Amino acid sequence: MAALIPSASATGSGTMTLAGPSTNSNQTITIPDTTGTMMVSGNMPAFSVYRSGGNQSVSNGTATKVQLNTEEFDTANCFDSTTNYRFNPTVAGYYQINGGIGFNATTMNICITFIYKNGSSYKRGDIRATQSGDSVMVVSSLVYFNGSTDYVELYGYLNATVGSPIFVGASDLTYFNGTLIRAA
Amino acid sequence: MMLYEKIKTLYPELTDHDFMTVITLQNDSDGKGDYIAFWNHPTYRKPTDAQLAEIN
Repeated sequence: MAALIPSASATGSGTMTLAGPSTNSNQTITIPDTTGTMMVSGNMPAFSVYRSGGNQSVSNGTATKVQLNTEEFDTANCFDSTTNYRFNPTVAGYYQINGGIGFNATTMNICITFIYKNGSSYKRGDIRATQSGDSVMVVSSLVYFNGSTDYVELYGYLNATVGSPIFVGASDLTYFNGTLIRAA
Repeated sequence: MMLYEKIKTLYPELTDHDFMTVITLQNDSDGKGDYIAFWNHPTYRKPTDAQLAEIN
């Protein structure tokens, strides 16, 4: 049988507790044959935010950061919804990141939704067809974060041939969300 | 007139494709407005601030 060796953290003084199941059935936890950090809900940041309080007017043909100013949830306070509108997680790892932008102009022919990582385009999704009304373009990607300086933002690009371009302020049209799915 | 329209006025031959590939205009929603983040057009030189200021 392998030895179980409790190892206190260098600075912590908390007690480690292994709690038994609350039923009379036996339960088994199998430890993987590798070294890593166990993920529990408390150290797995997740967020979901959207644009509210009106539409965001933007310039034609200009990649513009979406001002995502309302949080549905932000479990680790890693999303800045007041100043920089960015997700900057403090836990290193691989995150599933999703975003959608509701574009609107009288007539438009190009809509692009970008995930920007550290200030540059990282992944994008686009529509290149003449359209009108609210059109949602989405982007989704796995993104690695180093847990300190890496961040992502949502940008949109709209080419309106008629009318004024906007990002629609609505929770189901202009949104950004993500969660840690695997630690570094 | 916004930056995009100013550049299109200066260089009418530029295409939508140019603005998604060799030219990037950007706005970081920080109150500083639109700016040229990237310009690598093979024919047209990046406009100067003075050129853009002359266009109204």
